[in-house]
Order: sequence, then C-alpha cells, then structure tokens
Amino acid sequence: MSVAYDVEFVEREDRDARFLVRGITPAFANGIRRAMLADVPTMAIDTVRFVENSSVMFDEQLALRLGLVPLSTPPEGEFGEDDTVTLSIDVEGPATAYSGDLISSDELVQPADENVPIIDLKDDQRLEAEADAVLDRGKDHAKHQGGVAVGYRHLQRVAAVEDLPEFEDSESRIVRGVIEDDGELVPTSEFDHDLSNRYPGKDVTVEDVPNAFVFHVETDGSFTVEDLVTRAAETIESRATELEDAVQL
Amino acid sequence: MMVPVRCFTCGTVVGEHWEEFDERANEGDEDPEKVLDELGVDRYCCRRMLVSHTDLVDVVSPYQ
Repeated sequence: MSVAYDVEFVEREDRDARFLVRGITPAFANGIRRAMLADVPTMAIDTVRFVENSSVMFDEQLALRLGLVPLSTPPEGEFGEDDTVTLSIDVEGPATAYSGDLISSDELVQPADENVPIIDLKDDQRLEAEADAVLDRGKDHAKHQGGVAVGYRHLQRVAAVEDLPEFEDSESRIVRGVIEDDGELVPTSEFDHDLSNRYPGKDVTVEDVPNAFVFHVETDGSFTVEDLVTRAAETIESRATELEDAVQL
Repeated sequence: MMVPVRCFTCGTVVGEHWEEFDERANEGDEDPEKVLDELGVDRYCCRRMLVSHTDLVDVVSPYQ
C-alpha cells in the first residue's frame, strides 16, 4: 500500500465508537462495513437440548431466544469453527429466567448481557436445558452478527464564507455525522446537527472530503469495537490471500 | 408473548431494557420518550420494539 491510512477516534467506548479513516476508497470502506456485519465469527447458542420445559413457550421459541443472547467471544485462535461450548440453564417458577442464569462451561464464553428475560415462569413451571454454543458468521444467521448498525459517512468540511446580508434570516442547515472545521473534528451532535447554531449569521459551504470516512460502529457485546474492526480487516485479508493462492498457476 | 431479545431491524439487544421501561413508562407515569433516551435506546427501530410490545405471558398461562 502506497498511501498510509490515518485513523482517528472521535468517540470511543467499549461497544460504541465513531472514528475517522483517511486515505481509503469508498469501495474499501464498504468492504470493511460488510465484513463487520457478515464475516466476523461470534459465539452464539446453536443447539439446545431441553430436559424440562413446562413454560408457555415452545422449545423452538426458547431456543431462538437463547440463540439471540450475545455471548462474549474468546480471542482469536482459542476456538475453531467446530468447537462447542456447553451452557446450562435451570430455573424453577415462579421466577423469570434471565440470560444471566446461563451457566457456561468455559470462562471465556459468558452471556454479554445478564438481564435479557428469556421466559417468565409461573407456579410449577420449570425450564431446564443444555445448550451448545458455536462460532459462526453473520451471513449464516443474524445471531452471529457482531456488529450492529454499522455505517459510515463522508467527512464533511465546513467553512464560513461570508456574512449573510443584513436583513436575511439565517435558515437552519442540517448536517449529520462529523464535520471538519479548520482541521478540527466536531461531531454534529455538539450543535444539534444544525450549522446555523454553530455559525449564526454566516453563509457556510459544506463539501465532502475525498476519501475520508467517519465510521459509526456498535457491537452487540460479543467483543469491543476495536476487536470487531481488526477482525473484520483480518477476514478481508485472509479472503484476499485465499484468492491469491487460488489464482496462482 | 415475551419481549423480543433483539431489535428486528438492526440487531441491538433491547430485551434487557424491557422491565425497566415497563415499570417506568407503562406502569409508572414517566414520559416514554425520556425513559428510552435514558436507557440509551436511540434509534427508532429499537424504540418501537419496546413501545409497541405487550407482554402476553400472563394472558396465555391459564390455558397451558
């Protein structure tokens, strides 16, 4: 690669981040986005063996609910595609079974959210089940989708050109995302997404900065945003290598 | 029946917020908009999951 990428975080939390990447083409930005949604393997419950289920929901419905609970995904290399982790749940009514009641056989694979209600159990109802979690990709089932609401926008450069004519009212100008003002990055939420709040009485120009994209990434809790993005980049790399090997004569 | 675990559209886990939302906005008299903001349910796809949900477990359970 001749051009160096430049990555700068605008907002950064474990599960939610906004970062700016300079020097990538729109095609590559979209490739990263799609890899984050569909190609990063995450752990999720896939097979459930019910020992007892006297709740008001069918076994299949409960299996789906258990599958959708995000599980923390171990570091790469710890598990292969065929390995399984067994989790068990045993709750007796009257009570509500929560995702936090799942007991995992492996410390690395735990429910990422503990307060997801699985099923409300009344008197004499009981749920006892054993579940196998597997590593799989978002393209096979949405429960394996680690990135949630992943998207990107052009970075927009805003400049105040001149004062508005004296008797003209300033109109609201809505922009969303992150703007660049004299090299300073400002999330639009700081001025309620309205440029007339930031530049009152000014005429402003807005233009897209070429090859600069602001990603907004959220994860379901399986891993951190950082993990998600690096693993997405790695899947692209491994697929590119695969293609290269296949093309070689 | 039970609240969906994830948002149908974007896949965010919304089930964990249901009990607090129900208690404060449906049972209590707080403004649902403010409760959702405080819970961090930002997108309208996720917000409709909670706003439009009705728990039917209690209705169904006698017929088990």
